[in-house]
Amino acid sequence: LIIGVSGTALQKNVSVGSPAKVELTCKLDENSNLKNPQVTWKKGSETISHTSKTKNSWTIQLTISDASHLASYSCILKGEVEVSATFHLQVPKIEGKEKPIITYEGDLAVMVCKTEYAPMNWTWSMSNGTELVAINPSSDANKFRIKRQSANVNRLEILKLTKEDSGVYWCEAVFRLGNSKRRFELKVLSIFVPLKPFIAVVAEVVILVTTITLYEVYSKNKGEEGEREFDQIEQL
Amino acid sequence: ASEAGRAPGPPDGGWGWMVVFGAFVSIGFAYAFPKGLAIFFKEIQDFFGTSYSEIAWVSSIMLATTYGAGPISSILVNRYGSRPVVMFGGLLCGVGMISAAFCTSILQLYICVGFITGFGLALNLQPSVIIIGKYFLKRRPIANGLAMAGSPVMLCTLAPLNQFLFDNFGWRGSFLILGAILLNCCVAGALFRPIGAGTALVKTQVTEEGKDALKGKFTEDGKEMSSALNVPMENKTEDEGEKDCFKKINQYLDFSLFKHRGFLIYLIGNVLMFLGFFAPIVFLAPYAKHTGIDEYSAAFLLSILAIVDMVARPTTGIVANSKWVRPRIQYFFSFAIAFNGACHLLCPLASSYTGLIVYSSFFGLAFGMVCAMLFETLMDLVGAARFTSAVGLVTIAECCTILLGPPIGGILIDTFGDYKYMFIKCGAVMVLAGTFLFIMNYYNYRMLAKEEKERKTKEEDPKSVRTENEGRKNWNKDSTQDGPELEPLREEGEGVKKEMNGT
Repeated sequence: LIIGVSGTALQKNVSVGSPAKVELTCKLDENSNLKNPQVTWKKGSETISHTSKTKNSWTIQLTISDASHLASYSCILKGEVEVSATFHLQVPKIEGKEKPIITYEGDLAVMVCKTEYAPMNWTWSMSNGTELVAINPSSDANKFRIKRQSANVNRLEILKLTKEDSGVYWCEAVFRLGNSKRRFELKVLSIFVPLKPFIAVVAEVVILVTTITLYEVYSKNKGEEGEREFDQIEQL
Repeated sequence: ASEAGRAPGPPDGGWGWMVVFGAFVSIGFAYAFPKGLAIFFKEIQDFFGTSYSEIAWVSSIMLATTYGAGPISSILVNRYGSRPVVMFGGLLCGVGMISAAFCTSILQLYICVGFITGFGLALNLQPSVIIIGKYFLKRRPIANGLAMAGSPVMLCTLAPLNQFLFDNFGWRGSFLILGAILLNCCVAGALFRPIGAGTALVKTQVTEEGKDALKGKFTEDGKEMSSALNVPMENKTEDEGEKDCFKKINQYLDFSLFKHRGFLIYLIGNVLMFLGFFAPIVFLAPYAKHTGIDEYSAAFLLSILAIVDMVARPTTGIVANSKWVRPRIQYFFSFAIAFNGACHLLCPLASSYTGLIVYSSFFGLAFGMVCAMLFETLMDLVGAARFTSAVGLVTIAECCTILLGPPIGGILIDTFGDYKYMFIKCGAVMVLAGTFLFIMNYYNYRMLAKEEKERKTKEEDPKSVRTENEGRKNWNKDSTQDGPELEPLREEGEGVKKEMNGT
């Protein structure tokens, strides 16, 4: 993995899925004010030596083989001004729904976790007060189903929802270099919750249609009365 | 006896403004609802475990049904009038979305949301546009502009509303409530009071002053031949009177429109235009993100577009109604289309966020201008009576290009990896369409002026009666419909009555 960063202070997240060799490069823009800066590479707060350098770029090579190697690496260019860039090396994050998932009793709930790189394993668990209860689909096949849509995407289905199923769920992706977690909130509502606004809107429609019809009948009657008078005047 | 109290010509006001409001709501739902549904797609995609394109089909089916069912809508309006059709359409939409709330497969969604709701929206769109033509003449461009403004207003309302419903009720609850909201189309339909006979068939080249002298024709596709003898009443329904079997076919869907020069020009120009019309909107936000702009700013671009659009439509209506523009409204329309195209062609030059904001504003303006006049120009060309059939035929023809536009744009983007070719294609297509319409309408105006002059010299009637400015051959073709009016013209008594009714 080679990443180039130019210009002013920047941050970049680098996802490392499995042990790999990583090259980080800081490249200085030709038009920058900084000329011949002094460059230091740091892991966290301690200085490390750089592996190679050219006229305007400085590189370090890292071998990431266990969790301790995952940290924030920064290159600092000192001259008239100080410029720095930081690379945050970490396990891949899980993408999933941020907002609470709204479902209904008797319905199906779906939670999908997605990562950039495939983990070794996926686990799902539910928060029961303070403890985490693991979800085992084989023990309760009628209730839970875990589907592996692809190596990167994992999916939990909860069937026949009840009110007790509301709560916090966790999806965990296990990598060689560490774990990544994601939180889901599930809300199970009863069917009557949306029914109230539904009935309100239907009532509004009925009232409006009735009003318009009545108004029309009223003005029609008025019009007919006026015409009858008119015809009488004509006959005269 | 004076009949000044009765106004057999279009009212151009009064209850008409309530009708405009109803059309505003109806048209707004028809155009904005499919776009507003996009918020739910990600969740539904996850729920059913399908791919994005399978979900996109819901939108496509809905759009295709809304446009494709145009002729059916026209036939129903010709037969039953606008009001029952719109109310039935509203009910259908409601039923469609309510049943969609209980769907358990993507196929059921295709049917409930795609077909049923789509068909309901089609039954909303056409009649709303048609009834404006029945209620307005002098102020028709304004009425059209105001009614078409329903689309951006509804979109701006539906987008946050849908998000709110989704956050609180999930997609199923939202569909249920949206079904109820769609029932409001029935309210809009209730406002569409059927209007009596005597809606004038008018044409282009009529100035504001000239319109006052215009004498209205009594029939609508020959349905009310005998209405010349009846005193038209304010709230009489449109389809009373004998129907000749002769006119029955034409009465349902007027295929003779395909021989109408103006109609053909409009059809070809519009079909071409729609190839490049919607794609830029679809790809504006992705393009913005592609150039590095964050999601919220990209969404803001669309909001700018919608707000400018909202203002542009009624404004265009007012401008188009002015005495300088109305006789040359077709040129104004072609200009608007070409302006749209020019915007797209210039878009690749805008690379910064400010540039894109400028582009969005101009795009919103151009988009609003075209939409406001979309149906007005068709009404102007074929007249209010034949508009019912015309709009049905036009929408089914546009259906194909509307659906093709964004996918073609998508292919261009994927092949070249660059958005600029899509903008160039859209811009080029629209400039071409605009130029085509401009040239052909220039030709059409010339021909109409020539035919008008020919007919005037042949007229021996002492009163200057201005009838529809049709082409010579079209006039003969329609003589079956025009026939009954010519007879009363020759009779003195009827002629006087006709003249009085026309003022």
